[in-house]
Amino acid sequence: MPQRYDAIVIGGGHNGLVSAAYLARAGLKTLVLEQRHVLGGAAVTEELFPGYRFSVFSYVVSLLRPEIIRELDLPRHGLDILPLDGTFTPLRPGEGRPAPKDGNGNPIGSGDYLWRVNDHGRTVRELRRWSKLDAEAYSEYGQLMVDMARFIKPILSIVPPDPASLDPRPLLPLGGLLRSFARLTERQQAVFVQLMTMSAFDFLSQWFETDPLKATMSASGIIGTFQGIKSPGTAYVLLHHYMGEIDGAFRAWGIPKGGTGGISEAIGRAAAANGAEIRTEARVARIQVGGGRASGVVLESGEEIEAGAVLSSVDVRRTFIDLVEPGTLDPEFETEVRRFKFRGSSGKVNLALDALPSFTCLPGEGEHLRGAISFSPSTEEMEQAYDDAKYGRWSARPYVDVIIPTLVDPSMAPPGKHIMSCFVQYAPYQLDPSLGSWDDNRELFGDAVVNRIAEFAPDLPSKILYRNVQTPLDIERTTGLTEGNIFQGELSLEQLFFSRPVPGWARFKTPIRDLWLCGSATHPGGGIMGANGRIAALELLRSKRGRGRAA
Amino acid sequence: MTATRPRMGGWDAVVIGGGHNGLVAAAYMARGGLRTLVLERRERLGGAADTAELARNVRVPALAHTVGRLRPSIQRDLRLSSHGLSLVAPEVRVFAPNPEGGAVVLWAEAQQTSAGIWARAADAGAGGARSSAARDADAYLAFDQRVRHLGRFLDQLGRAVPPDTAAPGIDDALAALRLGRSFRGLGKDGTRTLLRVLPMAVADLVGEAFEDDALRAAIAWRGVRYGAVGPWSAGTATTLLTDGAGNDGGAAGETVFARGGPGRLAEALAGAARAVGVEIRTAAEVTAITSRDGAATGVVLADGEEIPAVAVVSGLDPKRTLLELLDPVALGPSLGWRAGNIRTPGVTAKVNLAVRRLPKFAAAGDDERLLRGRILVAPGIDAMERAFDASKYGRWSERPVLEATIPSLVDPSLVEGARAGTHVISVIAQYAPYALRGRDWEDDREAFGDAVVEVLESVAPGIGKLVSHRQVLLPPDLERLYGLTGGHPLHAEAALDQWFLWRPLLGHARYRIALERLYLCGSGAHPGGGVTGGPGQNAAREVLADLRRR
Repeated sequence: MPQRYDAIVIGGGHNGLVSAAYLARAGLKTLVLEQRHVLGGAAVTEELFPGYRFSVFSYVVSLLRPEIIRELDLPRHGLDILPLDGTFTPLRPGEGRPAPKDGNGNPIGSGDYLWRVNDHGRTVRELRRWSKLDAEAYSEYGQLMVDMARFIKPILSIVPPDPASLDPRPLLPLGGLLRSFARLTERQQAVFVQLMTMSAFDFLSQWFETDPLKATMSASGIIGTFQGIKSPGTAYVLLHHYMGEIDGAFRAWGIPKGGTGGISEAIGRAAAANGAEIRTEARVARIQVGGGRASGVVLESGEEIEAGAVLSSVDVRRTFIDLVEPGTLDPEFETEVRRFKFRGSSGKVNLALDALPSFTCLPGEGEHLRGAISFSPSTEEMEQAYDDAKYGRWSARPYVDVIIPTLVDPSMAPPGKHIMSCFVQYAPYQLDPSLGSWDDNRELFGDAVVNRIAEFAPDLPSKILYRNVQTPLDIERTTGLTEGNIFQGELSLEQLFFSRPVPGWARFKTPIRDLWLCGSATHPGGGIMGANGRIAALELLRSKRGRGRAA
Repeated sequence: MTATRPRMGGWDAVVIGGGHNGLVAAAYMARGGLRTLVLERRERLGGAADTAELARNVRVPALAHTVGRLRPSIQRDLRLSSHGLSLVAPEVRVFAPNPEGGAVVLWAEAQQTSAGIWARAADAGAGGARSSAARDADAYLAFDQRVRHLGRFLDQLGRAVPPDTAAPGIDDALAALRLGRSFRGLGKDGTRTLLRVLPMAVADLVGEAFEDDALRAAIAWRGVRYGAVGPWSAGTATTLLTDGAGNDGGAAGETVFARGGPGRLAEALAGAARAVGVEIRTAAEVTAITSRDGAATGVVLADGEEIPAVAVVSGLDPKRTLLELLDPVALGPSLGWRAGNIRTPGVTAKVNLAVRRLPKFAAAGDDERLLRGRILVAPGIDAMERAFDASKYGRWSERPVLEATIPSLVDPSLVEGARAGTHVISVIAQYAPYALRGRDWEDDREAFGDAVVEVLESVAPGIGKLVSHRQVLLPPDLERLYGLTGGHPLHAEAALDQWFLWRPLLGHARYRIALERLYLCGSGAHPGGGVTGGPGQNAAREVLADLRRR
């Protein structure tokens, strides 16, 4: 007789584990099934080279919901987030303000940089060097964004209503939101509307004139999306940078001790402590559906496991197209699922270094290497990187977001050595056929990334011991993320809130009874946030109580 | 210039700008009993609905070349046909020849378009191309239906005055309720679809529906026309759907000419306005709006003349109205900052040509009918996007996207008296950014004109040699001639960040702006640009409501 659980969670990524922890905490007999030998999905730490451990895919964290940390008591289970201080934007020789030139008009000197740190006063002083106006605007802008973040934050933990439904109850949480919107000043309201509709570039241009500042700030609007900094709809993501900051408990950005896998492991331990069972190397082949309801899963090994409910933390294409027997779904729903856009656009290059690289504009080791290093010298280069991707090419001169985790967590590499994590935008999943496949392009792409960094830190190539390149195809192969989209589907306006993942099905339920979604494909989207897993679990528990009462 | 003698008791409303929206607003206000004066800076009325003389006896639509979106209620209410407006609607809406051969043709009748796509399938022979064209033929009918279905709601939205969200009254609640009801009227599927597609990129919208890139591009064009956006920009689906709202737009969009050129529309509107008592002065440039204690009190002309009025209604774009005509102190720093950030990135150029005889378009063969609608050279989604890319970096497109019309084909009166065989070609060309990086437009004007002719040459070989006169109007020209800030034909970019409740600014979308009894009635106000008369009609309603309450 097959085993039976109250709930099975497909996928042991951070969201799946969060769901499992909440379900187990509520007393449900819960099983997590992970296809790989490690937990974490895209939030994993692996020893790619002997002695060098990497957050292979994701790399920083800021959005992990404080209520999850609290409710699951994650610090007790080993969660430790180390603050990441500031963003350093190096420029090339001759760039910056004022750009020194020799008698023939050729650039001289080592170039400038733009360095923002968590110390507001210091950042403002640094900005004043560039533009008095920008330095003034920076404080005003920061305050406005904090106000906005405070206003928007409740959205992250509500279940999106269906605007087409005649039932007014799900709209109730929106009422509170509308009331708090009405309490904003007219200007704040106007800025909120702009955040939801504008491009990051246009939005920031209202305050700032310093180009490297605009380039670096707008970069956070495009991470993981197939959009440029001038694409409408990218301003919203800027807000996320301010979400963590206002919650006292947390620093804006941090890296988890032991890599992003450290988060997954802590959540996994919390789930296990609450009684959830976790199995790795257990690949689900099919979700069993009978009579319109999910009744369990079949593993690739042929093993059948029954369950009262199945929660899928994998993306919608995997869930509905790959795991559900063809012909089960309502054709209209299936059309909508197939229409959901993935369009992975990011790559990752993981480097093991013999020693730290030295930047021309600020040589040697120092504090500037301890935060994020943003290769975003100009808005024009950022936009051109996107233009490459639009036509199916990886960016010849990509935007790269680098961190050197070993400077805050030396345990990741042998003594004296370092690792460098390079997040790269853009690497479109669909390459122009004339370029061949990603397998033909992997190392060329890796070279482009290293060369890009070497424009600013010429000694980097000589410091590299090992290199690991993750293309969108590799991300898809390893983690199962369709088209390598790190957010389980594009975070474009038409795929958010009540339209995520399918209009009318944004409430974690699916047309198959007892099959639920709990991954980044649902509201409020991707990033190491855990909100999706938590709301899904709470929604499931609520519906069970409702059903219990009805019975 | 004739001095204006205010009638007894002075003017109730003075309208700044005699563009089509200003005239519409004036006519409705006068019908409502207001003593109304229109002040136009130029000698001619109509603003961007303008007919210009390109050469002796050769008249050409100076900027806008079609007028088919004009609200039917305005045509009826103001009895425009009795004031000389006569419209011509050719049965072909769009002819989109491809430089590689072949063409997409969109007809007024969707069935005919669909049949044409089928016929292309037959030409494609057997295999994949054939079956995908067959699918597109069916998809076209469904898409056309969908655009019309969603368009009905957007049309209602366009007719509504955006509700007051700050201090809603009963009227606002009723208006919101009515909109809510018509939103529900879309049905479950319709409401979800609308909310999903509004923020989409038009490339995705047509990509979901069709497989043929040329067909996709022919339809997507209206999502980017006049805008500093490419087909991959989010929100361009809204622009397309709004363009299809109201009049019989559908997937093909309208193609309707005013006999005698678009200026004839302005003349008809002026006639209708005068008939209800509006006084109109041309060559009367307003240089300031006067105010006292936060309320508009009148205007000042360039020659110093002051004209007091109870209400001031501006048909100019919001940026110009607020930043050029108002006292900055009266405007206040916060609204001043917001007004300065209204986006007006003009990227549209207009190239007007006179040709010695009708050019031959390779894909049209001898079928002259095909040339009577809008002739679109936008061979694919990527081609449009690449044309847009240049403008992001302050360069003009080397292969611009073109929408051309040959109005003299449907309306020979435009070339009456000219040498036999003469035709005029009116070309909207994108993208030509308002400011070039590191270059002066004066050095590039003719080069850009050449680029436009070269693109035409790719679908109509030999056309270049037929050109006898050429006029290249760039965004800075549009700014100078028509007062359009940034040279933006729509007064303010039509995008989701400047839409409905926040067009032009949140809290100021109800035609009342900055001061008591100062109103906007031009394209910068809801429901936006294009020759619809919508903002003028809506604004007049609000002015009348306010002035009656006094």
